[in-house]
Amino acid sequence: MEKLVVIGAGMASGRVLEHLFDAAPGAFDVTLFNAEPRGNYNRIMLSPVLSGEKSAEEIVTHDADWYARHGVATRFGERVTAIDPARKVVTGENGEVPYDKLVIATGAAPFIVPLPGHDLPGVIGFRDMEDTGAMIAAAATPGATAVVIGGGLLGLEAAAALRLRGMEVTVLHNSGHLMNRQLDEAAGYLLEKDLARRGIKVITRAGTERIDGDGKVEKVVLGDGTEIAASLVVMSAGIRPRAGLGMAAGLAAGRAITVDAQMRTSDPDIFAVGECVEFEGNLFGLVAPLYDQARVLAKTLLGEEDAFVMRELSTKLKVTGCDLFSAGDFAEGEGREDIVFRDPARGIYKRLVIEADRLLGAVMYGDTADANWFFGLIKDGTDISEMRETLIFGPAFQGGGGPSADPLAAVAALPPEAEICGCNGVCKGTIVTAINGGAQTLETVKAQTKASASCGTCTGLVEQVLAVTLGAAFEAGGAKPVCGCTELTHEDVRRLIKARELKSQAAVWQELGWTTKDGCHVCRPAINYYLLADWPLEYRDDPQSRFVNERNHANIQKDGTYSVMPRMWGGMTTPEELLAIAAAAKKYDAAVKVTGGQRIDLLGVKKEDLPAIWKDLNDAGMVSGHAYTKGLRTVKTCVGSDWCRFGTQDSTGLGIKLEKRLWGSWTPHKVKLAVSGCPRNCAEATCKDVGIVCVDSGYQIGVAGAAGMDVKETERLVDVATEEEAIEWSTAFIQLYRENAKYLDRPYKWVAKVGLGWVKEILSDAAERRALNARFDVSQSVYQTDPWAALVTEEERKSWSSPLMDMSREAAE
Amino acid sequence: MLMTREAPTFVQVTEIWVPDGDVLIHAGGNYAGKDGFAESSVRTSFAKGEGLPGKAWAEGRPVVLKRFDGSYFLRAEAAAEAGLTAAVAIPVFDGDTLKAVLVVLCSEDAEHMGAIEVWEDKGGVLVLNDGFYGAAQEFEFVSQHTTFSYGQGLPGGVWAAGVPILMRDLGKGYAFLRADAAGRAGLSTGIGIPLPSPTDSTYVFTLISAEGTPIARRFEIWDARATTVGPAKEALLVDGLCEVEGPLWSGRNPDFDAPRAAAWRGPVGQVLGTGLPFISTGPGLPAGYGSMVALPVYHGGELAHVVAWYL
Repeated sequence: MEKLVVIGAGMASGRVLEHLFDAAPGAFDVTLFNAEPRGNYNRIMLSPVLSGEKSAEEIVTHDADWYARHGVATRFGERVTAIDPARKVVTGENGEVPYDKLVIATGAAPFIVPLPGHDLPGVIGFRDMEDTGAMIAAAATPGATAVVIGGGLLGLEAAAALRLRGMEVTVLHNSGHLMNRQLDEAAGYLLEKDLARRGIKVITRAGTERIDGDGKVEKVVLGDGTEIAASLVVMSAGIRPRAGLGMAAGLAAGRAITVDAQMRTSDPDIFAVGECVEFEGNLFGLVAPLYDQARVLAKTLLGEEDAFVMRELSTKLKVTGCDLFSAGDFAEGEGREDIVFRDPARGIYKRLVIEADRLLGAVMYGDTADANWFFGLIKDGTDISEMRETLIFGPAFQGGGGPSADPLAAVAALPPEAEICGCNGVCKGTIVTAINGGAQTLETVKAQTKASASCGTCTGLVEQVLAVTLGAAFEAGGAKPVCGCTELTHEDVRRLIKARELKSQAAVWQELGWTTKDGCHVCRPAINYYLLADWPLEYRDDPQSRFVNERNHANIQKDGTYSVMPRMWGGMTTPEELLAIAAAAKKYDAAVKVTGGQRIDLLGVKKEDLPAIWKDLNDAGMVSGHAYTKGLRTVKTCVGSDWCRFGTQDSTGLGIKLEKRLWGSWTPHKVKLAVSGCPRNCAEATCKDVGIVCVDSGYQIGVAGAAGMDVKETERLVDVATEEEAIEWSTAFIQLYRENAKYLDRPYKWVAKVGLGWVKEILSDAAERRALNARFDVSQSVYQTDPWAALVTEEERKSWSSPLMDMSREAAE
Repeated sequence: MLMTREAPTFVQVTEIWVPDGDVLIHAGGNYAGKDGFAESSVRTSFAKGEGLPGKAWAEGRPVVLKRFDGSYFLRAEAAAEAGLTAAVAIPVFDGDTLKAVLVVLCSEDAEHMGAIEVWEDKGGVLVLNDGFYGAAQEFEFVSQHTTFSYGQGLPGGVWAAGVPILMRDLGKGYAFLRADAAGRAGLSTGIGIPLPSPTDSTYVFTLISAEGTPIARRFEIWDARATTVGPAKEALLVDGLCEVEGPLWSGRNPDFDAPRAAAWRGPVGQVLGTGLPFISTGPGLPAGYGSMVALPVYHGGELAHVVAWYL
């Protein structure tokens, strides 16, 4: 009988032994070492043990009786210290054991991030029964708090489990969304929302700086200075193969022990299996390929032929009530297309990634009923061209051209009790009854049944019911949606972002039922603006959702060069500024143009020179003129009462104050102001978005003028007596416009839609004006920054001209 | 330890009442030899608000009744003869529609340890609405003074997840004093069930079983949501624990091979078919068991889960 020594009693080696004993009982005299003081258990079920939803006894897969029954000599709790391939012996802590064949299955160890304080008592990985026991013990203290570092599968399972045990739990994740290796941003958003409902705090983009404590863990400190109390820190930042034993024995290794497709190492009598191996450059962490390896290895040991091949993997988070599934490859790429389905009312998100009529990947949240079917399509490489239109609806809607192959037929097939409007609980039967009773438009159905009257995401579905019921008599239409990604109008989206407190793009895509994964070049800039305008503190501006000029902080010209325009407050400048501008113009070979906005434009600057010219102008005390933004451009002024014989007020001074208050703020479209010192109106204030005309009694504030494609005189908003009032009213108007206008509507278009009467009514309320000013201040605390000055170091300036840009997400010109 | 069917159990009688017009009528039960009480029950019906089942219907929430004498319990005399002293009525609502009322009856004495609890959402935390604990008086006292936040403990976990949860080893490793009290009372296995209510409140119903006087020796949670099983009237066994068979879950992830129940087939299939609770003492039960109770849980207009317990 051959002597088989196995090092490590994990899931892979356990499965090897099962196969061996099934196929050839008695073929091997087996000795099994395990550093843990126990045999094999189902390691992937440690999370439910931690949560209390499984007991430790339940997850034991091979008990003492099993090993005895198969004659396995067990050396549990004994660490192997060396392998001598020449003598074919394994040295354990209690002595040597000879082998004919050796299997190394030493698994992997949790990666402990080498932060300061990582070695304090109370910092643990999450890998084995000991770790689980330690966490359970830590949880058994009333008021105990835990920080989990790593928002991957295992970290989140640990977080949910510790929360169930009664701890206050915070998850720190360095990426932008949870489980970023398995999920896309939309699914990550839903997961974060789900965890928040369980009382788990999640901090993404968290830069953990150190772990502090006096003799034991007391807190975790982030890079921004945030301190989080913690009596337990769980490190869940991935695993590293335990390959040291094999490497020390001289086996070929890369990041782990190298094996061939028969699981053979560089030594013909030594095999390796599980997380400690590297196969064709791949490492392993999920159990499915480990079981494949185990099957192959058992056959190899028995002299049979088999070969390990890589295969597609799927995974599911083991947090009760979180239904998510991910399989295959769902990264973006050229030639790949997405099919997306969202049901905001039920928290469902499904995304399929297709390339060349094959399903490559699938992400599902909230509805995993068809996960197995989709996984089969991925594994088998099935041609899905015939069912592409209805693929996202799953196998129930595939039928070879039957009624279910038509998406409209899917609506027709819904029973009368099927809910169409989740917000108001309106079922299909109610809508059909209303239609048959005479409601033959979306608006009348909405009025009679309340369907689509709240969030509006079921509008398309209601229209489909109308189409199915009325046939050709129904004409869809009405308000124009933002783009093809949604049925909602800009106005709907703005209202819902506020009402439902949507504070991220992922939240908008999901909660408003976007039909694409993350919007398109039309909707992304608008949504980015709405979010930053409504949630300046919570939302982070997304440069990828901006027009290219806004990303480059400069206007591209017809020859591919750029224009650079420093701000000149109220049209005033100084000899020093002019000298600096002149020097810059000469240095970068720029043409010089005085603009209609009372500034100087430097034209013809090469893209690679932009950071350098910005620095030169910054050094002379100037900031960007934002001549490229949907934001404040200029405040044009006349010389006013300081110099002009007709001037009634200090128009220049007021213009400077307004510009210094308003610069940097993002608005739905560009905004231009002017202040004229008298009704002769030298600053042409009566055709600006906000134009102030000074008179002896004070200031006449006009709004909603235009002097571009359309020409329009301003309309009088109010007359005020003081400069402070003029600034307060102007700012309130701009903020009202920021909060309510459709993206790319200039103020004159917006005012035409809402009516000047409404604007006056709002702004006439002093409390409302103060509130608008206060909200503007909050926004400015984030956004009133000079983008030129953002490039601080020489290195940043050098690397700026070739930024890594994700072109698939580039906003349109 | 494998219990025998004759071993003392915490719940003595289980019965189902279903609406028939304006009244609830008897629709089955397991009276475990308490024939007198069974006979008086099958002849009875309850109007809305009448008796214990009628009160649960009228109030749209689970009702615990720990004393029958002088109460609204209509069958007090027969119950007393059968040694029954307390009862809990669990209404099963699908939205605003009452599907059935499940009533469990128990005997309070010095032997019977266990807990049947109703937790109610009170502005962000779950507090004990009421419960029957038998002889587990310390556990009752601690529970009355314990609240659970979202995601914490069995009630908070069920509340946050919105699905039934089965927990083991409740007596150790939790940051609640209640866990220590549970350990001292021998209360180890608990199942929590979200109970939808037509009222504005959220309820979580828990059954906590002790080894000596078990509520059940086998628990099962079946997931029947369309988002899990598709449009068919089927359910997947997502968790379970059995004294005879051990763990009832496969241990795979994703669990593509979980046992599946179909409408009308087997005891759980009866619940999937009718949408009503089901009590069985007949054939078709797993080996070693003589009775089962299966409770449907509705959510979002569909039969979402079936929770079953066996003795």
